[in-house]
Amino acid sequence: MSTTAAPAHDRPRRWDSPFSDEITDADVQSLLSRAPFVNMKADNFPRSATLPDVLKNDTRICRYKKGEIIVREGDYGTSAFLILRGTARVVLSPALPPSAVGRREPARRGIFRAIAQLWGNAKEDEVARKRDRSRFMRQDEGETHIILQDIPRILDKHRTATINAGDFFGEIAALSRMPRTATILADEDDTQLLEVRWQGLRDLMRYDPALRSHIDRIYRERALSTYLAEIPFLKHLDEAGKAKVMAATQFETYGDYDWSGDYKKLAQSGGSAGKEPVIASEGDYPNGIVMMRAGFARLTQRYGGGHRTLNYLGSGRIYGWNEIAHNWRQPDNTVPLQHTLRVIGYTHVLVIPASIIEQVVLPSLPKHLLPDLIKTEGADAASPFTRTPFALAEEKAKDSPEKKSEAASAESRVGSELMEFLTANRFFNGTETMVIDMDRCTRCDDCVRACASTHDNNPRFLRHGPTHDSIMVAQACMHCADPVCMIGCPTGAIHRDSFEGQVVINPATCIGCTACANNCPYGSIRMTEQRDESGGILIASDAKPIVKATKCDLCIDQYGGPACERACPHDALARINLNTLDDLAAWLHR
Amino acid sequence: MIRRLALRRLGFLAALLVASVASILAHEAARSVYPHLVYITGWALLALMLVLTGYNARKKLPFLPLLKSSTWLQIHLYLGLFTGLAFILHLQWRWPGGVFEALLSALFVGVTLSGIVGWWISRTLPKRLTTAGGEVPYERIPVIRRALREEAEALVLGAIPTAKATTLADFYTGRLAAFFDGPANFRAHALGSRRPLATLLDDFIEVDRFLGPAEKETSAKLAALVRQKDTLDFHRTAQLLLKSWLFVHIPLTYGLLVFSFVHIVLVYAFSGGAR
Repeated sequence: MSTTAAPAHDRPRRWDSPFSDEITDADVQSLLSRAPFVNMKADNFPRSATLPDVLKNDTRICRYKKGEIIVREGDYGTSAFLILRGTARVVLSPALPPSAVGRREPARRGIFRAIAQLWGNAKEDEVARKRDRSRFMRQDEGETHIILQDIPRILDKHRTATINAGDFFGEIAALSRMPRTATILADEDDTQLLEVRWQGLRDLMRYDPALRSHIDRIYRERALSTYLAEIPFLKHLDEAGKAKVMAATQFETYGDYDWSGDYKKLAQSGGSAGKEPVIASEGDYPNGIVMMRAGFARLTQRYGGGHRTLNYLGSGRIYGWNEIAHNWRQPDNTVPLQHTLRVIGYTHVLVIPASIIEQVVLPSLPKHLLPDLIKTEGADAASPFTRTPFALAEEKAKDSPEKKSEAASAESRVGSELMEFLTANRFFNGTETMVIDMDRCTRCDDCVRACASTHDNNPRFLRHGPTHDSIMVAQACMHCADPVCMIGCPTGAIHRDSFEGQVVINPATCIGCTACANNCPYGSIRMTEQRDESGGILIASDAKPIVKATKCDLCIDQYGGPACERACPHDALARINLNTLDDLAAWLHR
Repeated sequence: MIRRLALRRLGFLAALLVASVASILAHEAARSVYPHLVYITGWALLALMLVLTGYNARKKLPFLPLLKSSTWLQIHLYLGLFTGLAFILHLQWRWPGGVFEALLSALFVGVTLSGIVGWWISRTLPKRLTTAGGEVPYERIPVIRRALREEAEALVLGAIPTAKATTLADFYTGRLAAFFDGPANFRAHALGSRRPLATLLDDFIEVDRFLGPAEKETSAKLAALVRQKDTLDFHRTAQLLLKSWLFVHIPLTYGLLVFSFVHIVLVYAFSGGAR
């Protein structure tokens, strides 16, 4: 490896790679003369990110013909849209089938390009190749628009709504780091949209309070109606009942949007469950059910002088349902909340008041969907493993006894100590967590070498990390359900892949600011020095090395999935979704 | 319910058993009617050896879609055992008489045995490492060893002014300095013996009789460091064994392949009208 430094280069900056090259100064002036930008005070914006600069660099103007799909349900997106001209139509329910909206897997290397890695890979580590720079420069350009066929039939069979010029949409996915919740298509020819990447939207909201409150309001309204439509027990309600539930439901948010810092402080102070904010407490009267929408919460129960973790609840899980149903069925023998629900991270919840559940929801339900009564005494007292009640009830009705017991016992198969370990370290956030069975791992480092071979000779993870018993969680990007690393990125270099949602870094737009590496609660992002083809470290004009963020990309462009997992000779390493415990329980007992 | 890995093992064992019995029966039946059977078993043996060697190539090509490494390993293990049987059939149940053939056969046995030993330590040592605790990457061991030595030396030097005696320092110099200075007790750790550690800790009990209260406190901390160093030495031994058996298995394999090709040339050069 050469140690000679190459000639100085300009350090990458935020807008070296604007969202689009096609937006002109005239376009910017035109935008500034129309709502909502005309009402924004330019003085509120800092000199480093003026309003014209944000519009010039973080937006682009897109044109669509009638029927062309603008966003697809299920895709990950990091931008919002403002309709400049024309109208758009949002498909509410039922959702369009994937084939109709042209969902397809991301392009992987062809077989010849895979083989060409034998001689084509650079000899030096982290070589910043020119072809890579140009390949990644515009991550969304060249996208082919898909036209939805037979629109009249779709309008006939699917409930839709119209969005008019001047309205924003797409802000839920852009702001919550979640998939798009609906498919939206252009409703007129020459529909013109302003697409704002989320870094720009964040700046606009930060420096213009009016836009912030407007986006917050529509975000809450749309998110609430979308989320409530997913709650299983609403399926049994008539329209009037659904309207009552919707009117009474509260939308609450706990924790800091950027919870990484809080977690690090808590961990440094030897944090325990007792120090986490509480949503609802064991022993209190159950005055509503809490439905998790995003983020996670810890379910605990008093044990001796502390709190024992029984489970963690992610999106779609419900708390307080069993108690309210019990009290409705046995008003003379009421029970309080059996567990405490604590905030871990940034948590969105929906709260439906107990009175609405008792008056509207429970009377509408068939008997077999009601949960079992809570036993306050004996061996079966207050089962702590609160699964989605409807999932359990439906399992009870349909599945074989073996399947039922297997599903219900995932938590017990994992064990409370391992659960405590996963929760204390916030590993539940990972959708592709690298877990290693140290009883089988021979420390051969084949996984590390395979990763290096497929990633510029530099492994994207450390085969080391917190260990519980024989299970190690290695320092590899977990592709979190809530990727806080994305929060501070000024250029959008770290983003979700639109198809499967892997968190990936675009090296062309990464400016090496270290925001993502500092934000990652798990230390899974590393800053690496860039080199030229001869191995010389690239030096910026300030005489410091040019660095870029690197991390596991789950071998998104390779055949067969993650090379680390495929390279393990002993079946010791696996990439596991820890959002729920089912996959982990199955792997532990493989 | 049978677990997935156990089921896989049962499947491979059953396949090995069936293939072995079938091969022996077929070989014995063909032996009497086909006089040049040894040529067929020889070529089959070479083909099996090449497939087995292919696993090493697969490891070097992680970016190609060539099945998972764990699948390759299972095939390698059971096919390796079957190749042992093919070797015996090729030799027709007797050890060869010639020097070259004996050397070739010894290489084959060496490859097979080193593979079996490697398989065994790959299955047993990881569990012992996990049980020992203190997981550490192999490359970090010298750094940690140096830190432990510096900590131990600081403890001992710090105790001298308080105690106004060099009893503990003398004990360190005479008994512990060499232990902290580098890797220790390789053989004992490889065999799973705790005797060297027990002996060292017994020496602490001996020396404690001559120490004051403050020195005894330092001595207890020093004993804790000795335990840490012993665990570190165990990690070094076990990880070194896990890595180094391949340095026997792979060179022997390539030696075997070279000898096999020479063997083929010799056989065809000197067999004359025997074919």
